[in-house]
Amino acid sequence: MILPQLFLADLPSDAVLTPQLIRDACIAVKRNRANWLAHRRTQELVELIAFAAERWMQPDSGFRRIALEQGAAETGFSPATLGRGLDTLFRQLTVEGLQALLLQDLGDAQRLDGFAAPAAELRQGRLAFARGPEMLVHIAAGNLPNSALLSLVLGILTRSAQFMKLPRNGNLIPRLFAHSLADLEPKLGSCLELAVWTGGHDSLEAALFHEADCVTAQGSDETLQSIAPRLRPGCRWIPHGHRLSFGFIGSDQLSSFQAPRIAHRAAADITAWNQMGCLSPHVFYVEDRGSVSAEGFAEFLAGALAEREATEPRGPLPVEIAAEIAGRRSLHELRQAHHRVTREEAKTVPRGAFFEAPQAGTRVWASAESTDWTVVFEEDPRFRTSCLNRFVYVKPCRGLEDLLRHAEVVRGQISTLGTAVGESRLAEMVPMIAQWGITRICPIGKMQEPPTGWRHDGRPTLGDLVVWTDWETV
Amino acid sequence: MLQAWALRHSVSPSEDLTWDRIPAVPTEAFKENELTCIPESARTTVFHSSGTTGQKPSRHIHGPVSLRLYERSLRQGIVFRCGTRRFPELWSLTPSPEVAPHSSLAHMMGTLSLDPCPGPGRFWGRITPEGWEVDIEGLSTALTTLDRPILLCGTAFNFVHVLDAQPERRWGLPEGSVILETGGYKGRSRVLPRSELHWCLARRFGIPTRSILTEYGMSEMSSPGYSIPDAPEDHALIQFPPWTRTRVVSPETGRCVAQGEAGLLQICDLANLWSAMMIQTADLARCEDDGIRLIGRSPVAEPRGCSLMSPNPPAS
Repeated sequence: MILPQLFLADLPSDAVLTPQLIRDACIAVKRNRANWLAHRRTQELVELIAFAAERWMQPDSGFRRIALEQGAAETGFSPATLGRGLDTLFRQLTVEGLQALLLQDLGDAQRLDGFAAPAAELRQGRLAFARGPEMLVHIAAGNLPNSALLSLVLGILTRSAQFMKLPRNGNLIPRLFAHSLADLEPKLGSCLELAVWTGGHDSLEAALFHEADCVTAQGSDETLQSIAPRLRPGCRWIPHGHRLSFGFIGSDQLSSFQAPRIAHRAAADITAWNQMGCLSPHVFYVEDRGSVSAEGFAEFLAGALAEREATEPRGPLPVEIAAEIAGRRSLHELRQAHHRVTREEAKTVPRGAFFEAPQAGTRVWASAESTDWTVVFEEDPRFRTSCLNRFVYVKPCRGLEDLLRHAEVVRGQISTLGTAVGESRLAEMVPMIAQWGITRICPIGKMQEPPTGWRHDGRPTLGDLVVWTDWETV
Repeated sequence: MLQAWALRHSVSPSEDLTWDRIPAVPTEAFKENELTCIPESARTTVFHSSGTTGQKPSRHIHGPVSLRLYERSLRQGIVFRCGTRRFPELWSLTPSPEVAPHSSLAHMMGTLSLDPCPGPGRFWGRITPEGWEVDIEGLSTALTTLDRPILLCGTAFNFVHVLDAQPERRWGLPEGSVILETGGYKGRSRVLPRSELHWCLARRFGIPTRSILTEYGMSEMSSPGYSIPDAPEDHALIQFPPWTRTRVVSPETGRCVAQGEAGLLQICDLANLWSAMMIQTADLARCEDDGIRLIGRSPVAEPRGCSLMSPNPPAS
């Protein structure tokens, strides 16, 4: 399958982009939007997106095949990891899923077509119409494709002309997705533009931001801070910074029957996107007093990760990232070796200045002859961020309050708390978790599978894109 | 602790034990442990690494004997690199060892300034609340009236401070002068690629680039390596003295990589008396015919995902 040259991103990598080229591309997609997209019905677009997603789920889909075959080299994910990651998104992009999103964010699924309202507003004699931005710009980052794909989907629902700036590494899959939409309906494809350059290119970005009515961006705080001042007044700004996630396993679930099952679900969360997403867990906190201890859970988790590795390998890493993992591992292994000896010595040798105080216990389980996966159990309950790529910490805690106290250092930077806690107990806990500032709570095993209606960083993803016109009829 | 570490790797002292089977201790371990067999009452000197503010520094503990061996290793090491020729007077941009008693770098400069260099040497560094600074005015004036060659030493950020403070100024060092930069920016100045730093130094101090050396050392080891003269490249080619051994291991398997392949640098330093002699650095390197090509701590270029990552190894 040879991709036609539809987008700027399809040009050879040595092609030179100019501000004029960016301006012209924006004008073209805006014109095409006015002609082909602005007046489409929501239902039509929903069905089109759902059909595109369904095609992507089929193993013989040409776009999927290219994504898995070539994407592995570009993104570093194994085809199995990549396939599972993409499917979690495409599975959600059904007619029902998209309608639920429209209803959730807009109150009525027809509000992008014309004035409409749910019953409560109708009773007050109020109707409202939601308008998407004419020109929607996305600054995509990193090589986790799902958020870029979802951004394009949302922009189609709002009938916006879209320009997506992609990074040098990790542009293949968004590009393939745009091609698949254009393949399905060329007129829709003509309302999209994608281009690749290294972030921070002032003149190109100035030309792009000048045309934008709304800009969404993903990236580090520094990247986001550098974009915001360059937007023109009135341009809406939807930044999503880097976040992290962790898990909590309640003592009520830590039976010798349940614990290995939870460990398998936790392993699914860790291996999804090789732990690099903002929804990926860095640490699992295991509550004391369960039949299985935190250390026991860590052992189960190591087994589950080893099993996963056999069917869904992590894939090779650049040497500098592997070095980071190796360095951390050996430090923790040294602590483990030291702890064991000092614990034994403490029993037999009188303590004194010459003997160091035993450190808190550490145990390491790791893939042999590779950095594929690592589980580190630490008695020390202080929160630790992981170096990712399937490197996870397991720590004990005395309960939810204790857990939140330890996570205080990353407060405000948390996306998701994965939980394995009994239903009624969890219902008592969630108000405290929400008040503390965590924006998503989900079962362990589903951390990397947010539904389409997920409020990214606690904000409505579709709702944030639109502007309302209220019509008070009485 | 080292015994436990060795046992974990199924290694114990025996006649057929070779150096490359000794498990390496990560340099990070020096931050959380006192890796020494010297009893507290016999400890005379502790060197601290110059880590980023707020981080726990590495500690390398010495008694009188180990310190003497360290000093001897420093002296023999530079003689090994530069030969037994007459060394010029040493001027250091670091503070003196009296002012910075816990700095192994200042101690190294102090040691070399007395032997093999003709003492006492001059130290242009001072300690301020922001960290080490160079008395640039004083140094600049002294350099203009200099009539004999010197060995001018300092960290990379020391030199950048000097270059940036007086951007128009050129100091012609007398013939035979040598510059020794020890790398390291610690976030204290803008970062220049090594080749650019050497070209700037050569131009501004009026010496050929072959007279500029890079030193590779750290508080955790006692035998620094020195660059061999080459066209200034971004990655120095380092040779270590004969009482050390080096190997480059794959971070994946822990085994030696093929020549030319990148991996983690491990150094076996016999001068690390009563401490850990087999050290695993956090630096990437490649083995080449003439030495170790130091790639350094290549920062992970762009974040590959959207998760926050901790930039530093985990502190205890």
